[in-house]
Amino acid sequence: MSSFDLADWLLDIWILATASLVAASCAMVGVFLILRRQALMGDAISHSVLLGIVLAYLISGSNSLWVMLLGAVTIGLITAWLSESLHKVSRLQSDASIGIVFTLLFSIGVILVSLYTGQIDLDQECVLYGEIAFVPFDTIIWGDMETGTDIGPRAFWLILIVFLIVLISITLGFERLKTVTFHPSLALSLGISIPFWHYFLMTLVSMTTVASFDAVGAILVVALLIIPAASAYLLAKSLKSMLWLAVLYSQLSVWIGYALSYWLNSSIAASIAVSAGLLMIVTLLIMQIRKVQQKRHYLQQLNTEQA
Amino acid sequence: MHKPNQLLKRLSLLLSALYLTLGTSTALAQLKVTATTGMIADLVENIAQDKADVQALMGVGVDPHLYKATQGDIRKLSRADIIFYNGLHLEGKLQPIFDKIARKKTVIAVSESIPENRLIAYDKLHDPHIWFDVSLWQEAAKKVAQSLAQKDSKNAVFYQNNLQAYLQKLTDLNAWVKSEMAKVPEQNRVLITAHDAFGYFGKAYGLEVMGLQGISTAGEFGLQDIKQLKDTIVSRGIQAVFVESSVSPKFIESLVKGVQAEGKKLVVGGELYSDAMGAQGSNAETYLGMVKHNVETIRKGLLGQAHE
Repeated sequence: MSSFDLADWLLDIWILATASLVAASCAMVGVFLILRRQALMGDAISHSVLLGIVLAYLISGSNSLWVMLLGAVTIGLITAWLSESLHKVSRLQSDASIGIVFTLLFSIGVILVSLYTGQIDLDQECVLYGEIAFVPFDTIIWGDMETGTDIGPRAFWLILIVFLIVLISITLGFERLKTVTFHPSLALSLGISIPFWHYFLMTLVSMTTVASFDAVGAILVVALLIIPAASAYLLAKSLKSMLWLAVLYSQLSVWIGYALSYWLNSSIAASIAVSAGLLMIVTLLIMQIRKVQQKRHYLQQLNTEQA
Repeated sequence: MHKPNQLLKRLSLLLSALYLTLGTSTALAQLKVTATTGMIADLVENIAQDKADVQALMGVGVDPHLYKATQGDIRKLSRADIIFYNGLHLEGKLQPIFDKIARKKTVIAVSESIPENRLIAYDKLHDPHIWFDVSLWQEAAKKVAQSLAQKDSKNAVFYQNNLQAYLQKLTDLNAWVKSEMAKVPEQNRVLITAHDAFGYFGKAYGLEVMGLQGISTAGEFGLQDIKQLKDTIVSRGIQAVFVESSVSPKFIESLVKGVQAEGKKLVVGGELYSDAMGAQGSNAETYLGMVKHNVETIRKGLLGQAHE
């Protein structure tokens, strides 16, 4: 009996650890996406990766995970680059440019699938998007298949590496990212290369979303990129506090969501996304109530003064 | 007041009692089996009976092609001593997960031992809906019994006896299905449903099968397909088409309206259980009940007795 309980406990730990890292990474890059009005970049990349996967398959002839990841990250970068270029050249709003670029890339992907790959199951749903519930079963075995040691889920290690890259990049580049995001003209006069930091950020976004798709599936990634950062945006007074708050919100969403899925016996990814949304609504409500209270307080003061 | 060592004695007594209850419960523990579909769970229950605790991942009315994992499914998979699944890509995205779990656990595809020449091929893939041919399901039953006996050899004879009894029931069922379908005039033996799940049924019992959707429920169909179906219905004088428990009925219903608009007689002959069995109390919550329900519905529908 007890051995089963131990295994259960381990399963929960692996899932929570993976989800927490995905959530923290998405929340951090999400903050910059929200501030740059590119919140739907994650959604865009979730579609355009199809083209990346198909091209990677056609070029290499293999549908192994690493080839697919490489293709996906590359096309994610191209999506970000094309959207930004279109926005600048045509003076279209950035959401419109994102919409044009990802639907175009996605459609080219669909056509290539029907032209070249025929019956093999080559869509992002099959080859790239993971299911958080099954993360603990897909483990890496170090060394020999029979005698090697099990070092834990593949998705966990992949997202841990991505999380560390995101964390280190944002810590080291914090001042510059801040200047580029809030005061582009100041950045220009200081000689900070705006294009460099833009593509630096987009590389982080592309890498984070693709690794997260692999771990937890598309919809949760899109939710975690936008919602915790947006909730933090409501409260934060500085970039630093927004980053901290976004990570806090993302972790709360994961824990509350996991408990919710346990209680309802429902999909873990959907429960986490719902919790993120609920936290956002609660934050909004509290802020509104406070506003009303402050107003009433102010009016009372005014009345007593008049009397 | 108890002296400390007395208290300790009582505590250790309590602990050992607890240990004993836990110990005996493990000794009596059944084999833990997890199956993907309700049909496979039913098959395992018939062969293992009280020797196994059987759990199914996909509940009533769940389309395996569109299955989404829930929290509880993690434990069903991790606690299982044996996992049985259909195979032939019925479970789609679960397949690679099963391959990974197979490194540590017994994971068996019940379709594994069916010879390839008995499978229906679609391009590079095979039709996974093997349970519609009762004789193929007998092969699946043998595979299940063999796997259970390997895992739990002390009950091997028990499993073998149950297998023989169940195979006999399936043989009788197979003969009954053939005799029921023989009651339908040959030119009317056309089965039209929402998706191509009934290929094996048609092949085994002499029906032409036409579906609106392709082999996977995720695909879409073209206008040309609908027109072709309409022409066939009118020219062959087909009385009924059928909806499925796990596929939205709206396509079939619109087909019926289209044919009726041309002044021809066509009804929805009833609901067939295709990718999932019925709910408790529906009489289709077992494999035997499901096949009987489907065959009676098809016979009545094709003979124009659907709403008697």
